Order: sequence, then C-alpha cells, then structure tokens
Amino acid sequence: MTSLDPAPNKTWELSLYELQRKPQEVITDSTEIAVSPRSLHSELMCPICLDMLKKTMTTKECLHRFCSDCIVTALRSGNKECPTCRKKLVSKRSLRADPNFDLLISKIYPSREEYEAIQEKVMAKFNQTQSQQALVNSINEGIKLQSQNRPQRFRTKGGGGGGGGGGNGNGAANVAAPPAPGAPTAVGRNASNQMHVHDTASNDSNSNTNSIDRENRDPGHSGTSAASAITSASNAAPSSSANSGASTSATRMQVDDASNPPSVRSTPSPVPSNSSSSKPKRAMSVLTSERSEESESDSQMDCRTEGDSNIDTEGEGNGELGINDEIELVFKPHPTEMSADNQLIRALKENCVRYIKTTANATVDHLSKYLAMRLTLDLGADLPEACRVLNFCIYVAPQPQQLVILNGNQTLHQVNDKFWKVNKPMEMYYSWKKT
Amino acid sequence: MAQNISPEQSGGAGGGGSKHSDDSMPVKDNHAVSKRLHKELMNLMMANERGISAFPDGENIFKWVGTIAGPRNTVYSGQTYRLSLDFPNSYPYAAPVVKFLTSCFHPNVDLQGAICLDILKDKWSALYDVRTILLSIQSLLGEPNNESPLNAQAAMMWNDQKEYKKYLDAFYEKHKDT
Repeated sequence: MTSLDPAPNKTWELSLYELQRKPQEVITDSTEIAVSPRSLHSELMCPICLDMLKKTMTTKECLHRFCSDCIVTALRSGNKECPTCRKKLVSKRSLRADPNFDLLISKIYPSREEYEAIQEKVMAKFNQTQSQQALVNSINEGIKLQSQNRPQRFRTKGGGGGGGGGGNGNGAANVAAPPAPGAPTAVGRNASNQMHVHDTASNDSNSNTNSIDRENRDPGHSGTSAASAITSASNAAPSSSANSGASTSATRMQVDDASNPPSVRSTPSPVPSNSSSSKPKRAMSVLTSERSEESESDSQMDCRTEGDSNIDTEGEGNGELGINDEIELVFKPHPTEMSADNQLIRALKENCVRYIKTTANATVDHLSKYLAMRLTLDLGADLPEACRVLNFCIYVAPQPQQLVILNGNQTLHQVNDKFWKVNKPMEMYYSWKKT
Repeated sequence: MAQNISPEQSGGAGGGGSKHSDDSMPVKDNHAVSKRLHKELMNLMMANERGISAFPDGENIFKWVGTIAGPRNTVYSGQTYRLSLDFPNSYPYAAPVVKFLTSCFHPNVDLQGAICLDILKDKWSALYDVRTILLSIQSLLGEPNNESPLNAQAAMMWNDQKEYKKYLDAFYEKHKDT
C-alpha cells in the first residue's frame, strides 16, 4: 500500500481501487444510463410487502420509502421506528407522501394492472411448482423403488405401453405424473444419475417465462441489493456451467447432480396440461430402461444397484417431436482398453455403465463431453488426481467383439443408421483418449 | 448487533406474542401475507444462499422448515440444524415463531428448541425475512449472548471452547436420533 505524504498529521491510505480508479463522466441531462430491470425493481420495491411501491411514503429523517399502507400498519403494530434503519418515527407525521416517486413509477410502469397481472401469473406458476414438489418427491421414490425391483422383475416386451410402471403399485401412479422441472429439491437431491433431455419446443416456451421471472426476482432488501445481485449472478452459474461443457444448443442436455444445491433450477414449471401428453411418453421411457436391461449380459445385471437408476426424467411434453428424434444409449467401458484394474473404473465401480437418452442430433463429441462432465460430477473427490481431465474415445459395436471408433462430428442419428439399425438401445463404449 | 432476550418476555410494543394467536384477520390480509411469503420463497430459491435453506412444510405456506449449517470456525461447524418457522397472520408486522427442531446445545437455546433472540421479539422489524432470520440465528450460534442464557450450563461452559466442543460432540452422539 502506498501512502502519500500530505498534511503533517494525516496519512492517506489509498486502497488499490482508489489508486486505479478514473474519474466518472459527468452526468448531464442528455446522459443515458442503462439500468438493469432487477436493480431498478429493487429501487421501486417496498421492502415490507416486497411489491412495487403504492402511494409512496418517505420517512422524513432517514428518507426510506414504503407503501403508505405498509408503513402505517408497521408503525401501528410494531416499534415506533423506521423498519429499515430503526430511526425513531414518532407517528405518521414523521412521514411524508412522495408523489414524485409515484409519478416516476408510473412513467416506468405505465400500466400497473398489467404489471400486477404478470406478477400474479408468475406467482401462480411458481405455486404450481411448489405444490408439485411433493409430487416430484413421490416420483423419485417410485423410480427408486422401481430400480430396486427391476432385477427381480421379468417382463416381456409386449407388456409395454401403459403398463410400464405396473411392477409395483407405487410406481404406476408416480410414473404417470407430469415431471416438474421447476421443482428443484427433489430432483436435485435424488442421488441417481439423471439426464434431462429438453426438446426445442418446450425449451422455447420456458425461456419466455424465464425472462419474466428474471425481471421479478428481486433482492429482499434494498440495502443488500448489491450483494444479492452478485449472488443471483453466480446463482445462474451452477446450472449453466454444468451445461456449457456437456451441451450445445443442439443437444440441450441438462446435467442435474446430487451436489447441486436445491435451488438451482428456477424455471417455473410447465402447465400441468402436459400430464396427458407425458403419460405415454413416460411409460415409454420406463419401458426403455427395462429393455436396455434385458439386452445386458448377466454379468452386468449384478452391476446394478439402487443408486444406478438411470431413468430419464425428461423434459416437458415433447409431443411434437416424434420418438424417433430421441435415441437411447447404453454406455459401457471399453472391454479391453478400460479393464477392471483401471483407476477410473475402480473409482466408478458399479457406476461404470451409463444409460442415456438424448436427442438424435447430438454428436459423438457432445456425448464424450457429457460423459466426462458426468463422471467428474459423480466422482467428485474420489476421482484420482491423474484423471481430472477426462477425455474419451467413443466406440460403437455393430457386432459383438467388433468395436468401431467414432468420429466426433457424427450425430447419434447417423451412427445409429450406419452401425446399429436394430430397434434397441444403441450400445456404445468409452475409453481413455490416448494423447 | 442482535441482542438476545428471553422468549418468555413478551414483545415490548404491541407486536410480539399477543398477535400470534390472532386468527381473525380479514381474508384479504391473509392473501397479502401469503403473497409476501411466496415472494420470499421465490427470492430464497433464486438467491441460493450458502449455509441456509428453507421451504414450506407441506402445502401450508404459513409453516416452513429451515436448515442452517453450523458456522465455520465455531464449535458448531459441521453440524446441520433444522428449524420450524410459524408465520402469524400479522406477518411481516409480527415475527414468526422460530424453534429448533434439531436439539441444539447453546447458551441461548433451551432444550425445547426455543430461541432467545431479540430480533424475533421486541427488535423485530417488518423488513426481516426468512433469509435474515436464519442468517441471524446462524450467527447467534457462533456468538452467543451469555449474559441472559436459556441454557445456563452451556453459558458456563462456553469460555472453554475445547471442553465445550468435546461436550458438544458427546451431546450429539447422544441425540443422534433427534
């Protein structure tokens, strides 16, 4: 730290910021300043009702603003002090109306009704999500139960359709329920490996609600607005960073992980009208995972554990896209390259076989990135230091014992057409990339 | 900052305890309360605060369950505590009733889980919300007020942190199931 040497008795300690900073430009009448909706909203919000200020009252001494109704009730029911800073407020006379501020608000939001309508809508959506929480919990319970039961169950392919979850009574009810991607905790907490596949249509509809939603998310206090702006910025990080590696706009894979904190997924839930359309869909996916199991050899059967349930919790009703646009994969370690004494395989143990369902236009590169990310997330600290950077080669086995290495830019659809053709989940293998 | 006072002591001016049993609030107000609670919930879920979390307990938006992680660099580090929050119809003008569900050995928490914290009583302000309440309780864990203890034994032991930690570990071993 440099100290300048001014007046005899005073030393000025300048912080790094103070040493570096440049003078700000002068603000004139013609200056335009861009303000983010969020920080604007925190200025226009009443800290008591967390809504937009209505008939603004300002405290005369400390200049804090509240809705007229809110501050009057607060003074009547509580201590005679400013709710924000505890400055003494003797009575209503310590407040003054602030019509200019009301005017300002009405300039920015000309139609309060419209604003409130949007608010209501967002809240309604959110409530739905929240009440679906319990539902999601039970769905996950059902999935868990199913995966426990699965090894003992025997099922012919013809049994499919609506009977997908019929194996246990619990599962049947749960499986038919609409997935609620907005309800975060249950999905996040479930320790199973899940891969969310969103189709384009549903994603678009979500991004709409999302943007409204973003405008409305708002720091609790005006005093803490800076801090919460930071948290909400970083808050976007867990999900998006998880995405960036694993997916591109083409694949839209979403990695959900047990280590993700509960509130990561903030998208309001889709309307429940999907429930009808998602019903057959869901049954499909259950059926699928059973089919994939049937195709496994016995040795792999006993690799399965409860935690390994790789049921896809798919995105919202993708009725528009045919089933053909999705592809199911079984991912196994390369039989020779990745033998059992391999560090990674040892760390993975029974989790080395992966079941994935994704869009057919995902490429092999996407897949290997997804795999690297997924394994890193799963293993966490268990991952040996040496294999922090995971790089995989992907193979497909058109015939048993014959592995073909795949080019990164092929889509899964192409691979499927070229090598697989059979109507069952494509079996793929992974191994270290030799550098 | 936040001083603790006995929970038996009723809130100084109007607000406090007397309002909690007041269920005769008009429906319209009730809507405003649940609206604010929903907003809080939404903000809380967006903010993704470290070390604390809270969610309504079932369908009733007026009853929440929160968790706080024991603050780092204190004897409580590594522990997780569950708390119940009961919101009165006069929320946010009156404080919610907050209690530890997990047993907590602390100078300002009694064995029933009642918490002795001024901001939950006479220092309540309508600006406090679930987030700030939980953060306050979290910081109370590391900085107890030993002047007016609810748990005199804990207050006496507090000075010897090593001994306290030892006792704490034994305490949690004993209360594992709760």
